Amino acid sequence: MAMLQRRILKSTLEEAKARFNFNCYPLLPPCASFSTLPSSSTTATAHDDVPPQLPPFDYQPKPYNGPSADEILAKRKRFLGPSLFYYYQKPLNIVEGKMQYLYDESGRRYLDAFAGIVTVSCGHCHPEILNAIVEQSKLLQHATTIYLHHAIADFAEALASKMPGNLKVVYFVNSGSEANELAMLMARLYTGSLGMISLRNAYHGGSSSTIGLTALNTWKYPIPEGEIHHVMNPDPFRGVFGSDATRYAKEVQDHIEYGTSGKVAGFIAETIQGVGGAVELAPGYLKQVYDIVRKAGGVCIADEVQTGFGRTGSHYWGFETQGVIPDIVTMAKGIGNGLPLGAVVTTPEIASVMAQKIQFNTFGGNPVCSAGGLAVLRVIDREKRQAHCADVGSHLIGRLRSLQDKHDIIGDVRGRGLMVGIELVTDRKEKTPAKAETAILFEKMRELGVLVGKGGLHGNVFRIKPPMCFSKDDADFLVDALDYAMSKL
Amino acid sequence: MQRFTPARRLLSEFKCSLRRQRRCFSQVAPNVVDNNDGFGPKIPSFDYSPPPYTGPSADEILSKRKEYLSPAMFTLYSKPLNIVDGRMQYLFDDKGRRYLDAFGGIATVCCGHCHPDVVEAIVNQTKRLQHSTILYLNHAIADFAEALANKLPGNLKVVFFTNSGTEANELAMMIARLYTGCHDIISVRNAYHGNASGTMGATAQSIWKFNVIQSGVHHAVNPDPYRGVFGSDGEKYARDVEDLIQFGTSGNIAGFISEAIQGVGGIIELAPGYLPAVYSTIKKAGGLCIADEVQAGFARTGSLFWGFENHGVVPDIVTMAKGIGNGIPLGAVVTTPEIAAVLTRRSYFNTFGGNPVCTTAGLAVLKVIEKEKLQENAFVVGTYLKERLTALKDKYELIGDVRGRGLMLGVELVSDEKLKTPAKLETLHIMDQMKEMGVLVGKGGFYGNVFRITPPLCFTKEDADFLVDAMDHIIARM
Repeated sequence: MAMLQRRILKSTLEEAKARFNFNCYPLLPPCASFSTLPSSSTTATAHDDVPPQLPPFDYQPKPYNGPSADEILAKRKRFLGPSLFYYYQKPLNIVEGKMQYLYDESGRRYLDAFAGIVTVSCGHCHPEILNAIVEQSKLLQHATTIYLHHAIADFAEALASKMPGNLKVVYFVNSGSEANELAMLMARLYTGSLGMISLRNAYHGGSSSTIGLTALNTWKYPIPEGEIHHVMNPDPFRGVFGSDATRYAKEVQDHIEYGTSGKVAGFIAETIQGVGGAVELAPGYLKQVYDIVRKAGGVCIADEVQTGFGRTGSHYWGFETQGVIPDIVTMAKGIGNGLPLGAVVTTPEIASVMAQKIQFNTFGGNPVCSAGGLAVLRVIDREKRQAHCADVGSHLIGRLRSLQDKHDIIGDVRGRGLMVGIELVTDRKEKTPAKAETAILFEKMRELGVLVGKGGLHGNVFRIKPPMCFSKDDADFLVDALDYAMSKL
Repeated sequence: MQRFTPARRLLSEFKCSLRRQRRCFSQVAPNVVDNNDGFGPKIPSFDYSPPPYTGPSADEILSKRKEYLSPAMFTLYSKPLNIVDGRMQYLFDDKGRRYLDAFGGIATVCCGHCHPDVVEAIVNQTKRLQHSTILYLNHAIADFAEALANKLPGNLKVVFFTNSGTEANELAMMIARLYTGCHDIISVRNAYHGNASGTMGATAQSIWKFNVIQSGVHHAVNPDPYRGVFGSDGEKYARDVEDLIQFGTSGNIAGFISEAIQGVGGIIELAPGYLPAVYSTIKKAGGLCIADEVQAGFARTGSLFWGFENHGVVPDIVTMAKGIGNGIPLGAVVTTPEIAAVLTRRSYFNTFGGNPVCTTAGLAVLKVIEKEKLQENAFVVGTYLKERLTALKDKYELIGDVRGRGLMLGVELVSDEKLKTPAKLETLHIMDQMKEMGVLVGKGGFYGNVFRITPPLCFTKEDADFLVDAMDHIIARM
């Protein structure tokens, strides 16, 4: 699929070049000076031929003496398989990170607006988290839960205290896929039913079972999935019912009444779809659907792998933005600022069905990841990251909306806090995905020093989900860079 | 540290001969065990003192666990142990007492707890870059993949990184199903392969299987030399696999998965001749052979690096975890370029998989194994330990079987040597007493009556002596 993608990219790039008279775009000078120039991003308008500058940052990366990008790419091709894809025509060799910035092999600094896919929540190599990891690694990396250790207990307690309702039994795993697998198992055991419901355009994992819940063909291999129903996506921008949650919710009712025995195991959703392109579910949707699902005997699972931990700004958990309390919550990514860690939190009642047999996770809840996870929770609270996300997020979205007025190619700006999406279209009425343009702008942003993410089924959505220490200056730089790049298209 | 002390061996032999008259019987005797500073074997000396522990007590932790963690989460021992520090093959509790770790965090800590080379690699990388994903380049994943691929025979050289053994086996099973276009997979009874939907199907012990749909897996008769109906005749057991295919499937299958030595199942080494015969059958049915090296891999068997090598076969897919990172959450699937290509049909992505810190740790582990000749040590010490345990078996009827290879050993306890009745209570009792004496072993087997001895590979002959002497001491007093 990666080769296919690259071929498509190449041909669309060529097509776009021809269409937009690409050659007038000036080449940028060598990069080393970028990171030290003072910020003047807000004053320059995009029409000047001076590209915007990275905000200043007082940090020197270590000199890099390791293998070059080409050497690494050659090894990857040989030992990591053809299915392992990467970003950019000329892939980026990232060797170091600090807070919201990343450094390549030449020491050039980039604004990390994607956080290793919404994962580095507090900042790369955040000192407090680093300290917790290092100190624990020196004492004990691993022993498993067959012995006691305080780290897992303290972390579970702290995590449970962040949860509403009776959500207080924590299972530690090693990834989001593992977490969603476990949630599905719990739902089926608890209800005695089989049917699971997920949203079209959702992403819940890459393991053979979670592939069933995932509903984007790019990520779905042709394997048996069991009884899974993919319901209409309550997508305010592209959905046929706009933001009318009630009509989307009726779809779920229909699926249950016509497509199942009338009883289901559960429903799972992200509150803001991540891989699907930062699509925020139509307001009021979850409340109605949770009701419908519970009447059908099912449990409600909130996939907080991307939206959790204060990222939405207005609330700590994504599901809180819809005013619901799920029965099971899954999390990963930001939970450990990059540590391989995932968790499932549920009620004692649901957890009790898991006691019928033994379910054991060798690495889950190990002292180092638990210590790291606890440090993350503390940093988020102490540094008031949630409020910060609300503040910077609304500033960012505000500026992006102004940009939308200026550039027709921006079809939609959406999201909440520091979970933002920018959808590009070639025709505002038809909403035709601007795939080629997205690809070009994506590369341009990298050249300007901004690393964003990409998503949506058609790959035409920029995903802006940086480490939560992202500042207003960073936001301005990002928007100015986007403005600059778009003006040159 | 000395790995062999002639004087100590003579002394322990002398002690054995003095006690030769005593036999143990299947009743559980009241607990009268000497402390480490009384009579009885002493833990080998070790030059390290853990920092004083000022954290929560065992009781506080237990009550938090009850409230906030899974109700099914269990601990070993009637009085659970609060382990706060580890160094090489030793663990320390909250009072600073040292224990010999003969379980290795379930065959996971292979180089040794907090091995300096591995810790240094982890710390240095963590300070530089914890996580960025494979969307960007980073040398750590490439270097480790290369080093890992170099350890495998044949054309096994494409690596996929995951975060656990379960994830690795799930991916392997999916790859096999996609590659062949078939769904049926055969695993062996008593196997353990993981706890997610596909792997729960492959896992074959009821205690680990929930009442959910686990489709497409057939479980073959276990080629168990001790309890199996065909003894050690591997080829006879292999015929069951043929029958499963001929009668239970379309005749073509996705694949076969097995451990070379069953871990959770109680250190059961598959009968000789089994795997070569089965692999041939599977290939004829168009299936792929998956070797689960989660426990037997990374030099543990001593004689060879990988468990499957001891059976003289080359699999199509190899899965690994546990020892691969000395305890860091890491797993891997290695296969051929031809098979790996099947994933290019769509996108497979693992967010944490192959992150710089874990792959740096993995590379450090490979280097330590080589530099410190841990495979050779596993062979030498493991052979010695097995000999001593076998001598103990001759001494006590309670010990029904001693088996395994290198530092992956099992001791099965039975209350009746002929009937092989599992001695579950005795196992629990002895395990508890061993902990009191300062030795931590593991438990396994379908009946929970097998000691699993899978220590860090830096385990010495002195450690082996201590373990056996402690066991001897305890059984003698039962």
